[in-house]
Amino acid sequence: MTTSKTAAPARLFTQVAADRQTGALVVGGHPGGAVYVLEGRVIYAESPAAPGVGELLTASGRLAGRTWQTALDQGTSTARVGRLLVEQGHLTQGELELCVLGATYDAAYFALSPASAPVEFLGGAMHWLGPIAHIDPAAVDREVRRRAKMLDDIFPDPRIDTAVVTPVSRPPRERITLTAPQWELLVHADGQRTPADLALLLGRAGFATIQELRRLAALGLLELPEVRAEAPEFVRLPRARGTAVDARRHRAGPVDSPAVAVVPVVSGVRPAAPDPPPAPPPPPVVAEDTNANGTVYRPPRLARRKPGAKLPKEVAAEPAQIHPGTDEVLLKRIRTALRGLR
Amino acid sequence: MPGVDHCLQEAMAIPGAVGASIVDYTTGFPVATTGTAPNSDHEAAAAGTADVVQAATSRSLFVSAVPHDLLEDLIITTAGGYHLLRLVHTDFDSRLVLYVWLDRQQGNLAVARRRMQKLADDLIAT
Repeated sequence: MTTSKTAAPARLFTQVAADRQTGALVVGGHPGGAVYVLEGRVIYAESPAAPGVGELLTASGRLAGRTWQTALDQGTSTARVGRLLVEQGHLTQGELELCVLGATYDAAYFALSPASAPVEFLGGAMHWLGPIAHIDPAAVDREVRRRAKMLDDIFPDPRIDTAVVTPVSRPPRERITLTAPQWELLVHADGQRTPADLALLLGRAGFATIQELRRLAALGLLELPEVRAEAPEFVRLPRARGTAVDARRHRAGPVDSPAVAVVPVVSGVRPAAPDPPPAPPPPPVVAEDTNANGTVYRPPRLARRKPGAKLPKEVAAEPAQIHPGTDEVLLKRIRTALRGLR
Repeated sequence: MPGVDHCLQEAMAIPGAVGASIVDYTTGFPVATTGTAPNSDHEAAAAGTADVVQAATSRSLFVSAVPHDLLEDLIITTAGGYHLLRLVHTDFDSRLVLYVWLDRQQGNLAVARRRMQKLADDLIAT
């Protein structure tokens, strides 16, 4: 049920939907997200790269931050936030449905489009918004794939989607024509904000933001992010180049000649230790750490690591991720709450 | 409370209506559909709708220089039918258009246009 594994989110999603399950498919990685299903139908999706219903409604000024916050306080525990907003007359049913549909498809793109990401399914999880829309999962799946292709048709460079947005300081031609959303993006791109930041700031759908950014890039109006060897990660562990060497062991294999095998060698680090106790060739393999002569090099307890070598598995293993999505959700809610107080 | 489905039902009640949908015109995706679509393909119809709206909103020919003189609707007539596109202006960020396909014999363009205007307004007004 709650198995976290690295897989294609879209494939697990199809499976969950086919089994008519209820719960949340939480996708880790960057940007990650979560897709909520109720008996196999998609009711909501969220992703840090896509403004949710609350962000869309408050950033546009459609709802005051306080109104939204009150609805959250009253309805979160019973998963009735959406219904409350309509019942209290803050939104029409049509507005709410359209907003939920838009936000869901938007977030689903970010959650389901990665080819591979840590995915887990939390059975029984329900979104606090409550079931507003019931979307055919096949339509979501198709739309996600269609959107990915749409972006590549505009400008096939996925780095645009995540990298900090920097407009070129000098346009590449004499005359340029911008649409209103493009203008908005360029005006707010300060060389620090990522597409997700801009979407959130402007209250615009994440996908629509990326779409316009790709168009701007195609027009040559954005600095392209520098080429990186690999996809950017938040935490970069030292690149594995060598492997750990057990200092207590002889070097194995072909360098087995007795002259070398005399001393326990810290391979590679100290090439020629100046004090090799010269001749007494001990019986080669056995009992080397109990080499009783006092001058002998005492190997450290741990194997030495070559510079840049990979950490041993148990040290380097990532801390167990519990629910990659839930922190984001919590942060989002805190942010909305703070905005409400402003 | 009129929701999306109710709005589409009402659209189908317009004399001569054959099909109706609400389309996101940046992605060309049918958010909600009912009835039949040209060539029985709502998704293709939505993609085409999106192209038409994009052309009208982004090509300078149709973009008014007067502030807030926004696009309201687009009407395409064919020998057999009318295709009406009404932009739905929500306060929050969305790019939606209400699309209704009318039979030419039974449909009345003026009536349909007024009804769609009301539908689009009711959908988002309290």
